[in-house]
Amino acid sequence: MSPVAHAPGWEWFYIGLYFFFGGVSAGAYIIGTLAEFFGGGRHRGISRTAFYIAFPTLLLTPPLLVGDLGQPLRFWHLLFDARSGFPYLNLSSPLSVGSWALVLYGAMAFLSFMDNLVAEGKLDFAPFARAYVRVPRKVFAAVGSAAGFFIAGYTGVLLNVTSRPLWALTDPFVGALFVASAGSTGAAAIYLVMKWRRIHPRPELEEFERFERIVKILEIALAVAIVIGAGKFAGVLFRGPYAVMFWVGAILLGTLVPLASNWYAYRSGRHLRSEPVAVLMAYLVLLGGLLLRISLLQAGQL
Amino acid sequence: MPKGMFVDTTICIGCKACQVACKQWNVLPGEPADFRTDPAEKIPVAVNFTGDSYDNTADLTGTNWRRVRFIEQFPENRVGGRWLISSDSCKHCNDAGCLNACPTGALVRTDLGNVALRQDVCIGCKYCLPSCPFGVVAFSHQTGTARKCTLCDERIHNGLGTACAKACPTGSIAYGEVADLKKKADARLSKLKSLGHEKANIYGYKEAGGLNVFYLFDDRPSVYGQPEKPDVPQGRLVVSSAVTVAGAIAVGVAAIVAFRERGQSGNEGEEVEK
Repeated sequence: MSPVAHAPGWEWFYIGLYFFFGGVSAGAYIIGTLAEFFGGGRHRGISRTAFYIAFPTLLLTPPLLVGDLGQPLRFWHLLFDARSGFPYLNLSSPLSVGSWALVLYGAMAFLSFMDNLVAEGKLDFAPFARAYVRVPRKVFAAVGSAAGFFIAGYTGVLLNVTSRPLWALTDPFVGALFVASAGSTGAAAIYLVMKWRRIHPRPELEEFERFERIVKILEIALAVAIVIGAGKFAGVLFRGPYAVMFWVGAILLGTLVPLASNWYAYRSGRHLRSEPVAVLMAYLVLLGGLLLRISLLQAGQL
Repeated sequence: MPKGMFVDTTICIGCKACQVACKQWNVLPGEPADFRTDPAEKIPVAVNFTGDSYDNTADLTGTNWRRVRFIEQFPENRVGGRWLISSDSCKHCNDAGCLNACPTGALVRTDLGNVALRQDVCIGCKYCLPSCPFGVVAFSHQTGTARKCTLCDERIHNGLGTACAKACPTGSIAYGEVADLKKKADARLSKLKSLGHEKANIYGYKEAGGLNVFYLFDDRPSVYGQPEKPDVPQGRLVVSSAVTVAGAIAVGVAAIVAFRERGQSGNEGEEVEK
């Protein structure tokens, strides 16, 4: 931690949105994979929808990442040494390792997406159809999930491993908070897209709610750790527009309200919220995840 | 053998010749004019004028790689006050946060120990900016890259000293072998101590793995605007990653618990509460 460290000047509409879309994509992919692996075939609807979300959402992110560079046309230097052309990796830099993880995750998300299209008969592509067996699909999903966890979390580690006071003092909790937020926003995105695709998600709603209850409690615990950790630099989280984003957007609307609604339905013995309420809560979770990323990114640069 | 600089702030006179020499050798333009309109004023007001003693450089930036700091220590009655003047630049740390953070290899350590920033390789991702605990590296909107002092990389590789040291009229900035400079610094420190400068200290022997550009201060480092304990952020990378992995495991377990196969859909709501 050092009060004199320079702010990088990352824009919320590039890097903040990248953190959000990367988290939604990775969170959806992970849930789709785990639901497929451990759901015993009952959750084909969840995993198919998850893989339809993961790749298109990820496609939004390269323009955001390249757009924030001072020299956008040199983006390939992230992967290849500019002088020798050999692949370049700096293990002490989350940004360097994250670039490679993004390539790996993108490849797996693409394969799972294509696999989905072939499996649902929307794409008739002979080479892919021949390879369409259960084993490679599970390999993509397992490798992609490991890379997906990395994508969900490294953005928080990237902020923590700097000398900016707010980011350094909240070390080591932002990475874990971003993973939890990726999980809850990914689940919310899957639920909404299932509604939109008219795959009736009523039987799965209870499972989404159970997942939300656990993850939202984890998010609250990590948010408390972050506010305590920030200590005397927590002031930037209590003043100005980013304080409103963090407390009203991310914590109240994005976490406490959905958790309270979830808990109320669970405790009152109905086990389920009504569907319009569940849809509204899914939108609030997505909004909260976005404002969480933007507020922590921007407050750290004040 | 690493080359570096010893900055003896106790003999700096604040002439800013080092800033001028740095700008000239490195062909650095003036800071972009930044006239903003204060709503209370009818005319645009230049925000570059800091009103802070003789310092209008204000910060190390993409076009100001050297900055002379002026610290005025005067009591209310103006008796017994003093000036502290210190010429600041990149410290060329042995454990350099910017170098650790660079994802492209644009930041390199040369055979002479200095940390150079290759302008044709840098992509302007700006991750080195918050990774430097001293607030040295800065982004230039004119070049679209990060920029900082290179210890006059091309001069020192051709047998010349740094431009700032060459221009310094009092010898406050000395360029040479780091080992020789340390001997000089130790001698100067004991001399100052013997003259009664109790707080005199050398900044840069232990900080960030040792600084190749180090300082003799007459007061605490924070008085000169330097962090007392500069933290090389990558030292926290392993713990930060481990906690994130633990968070990932927790989320994964939550997903398995929530979406796992169940024998029957009866009272499953209760059995997950563990």
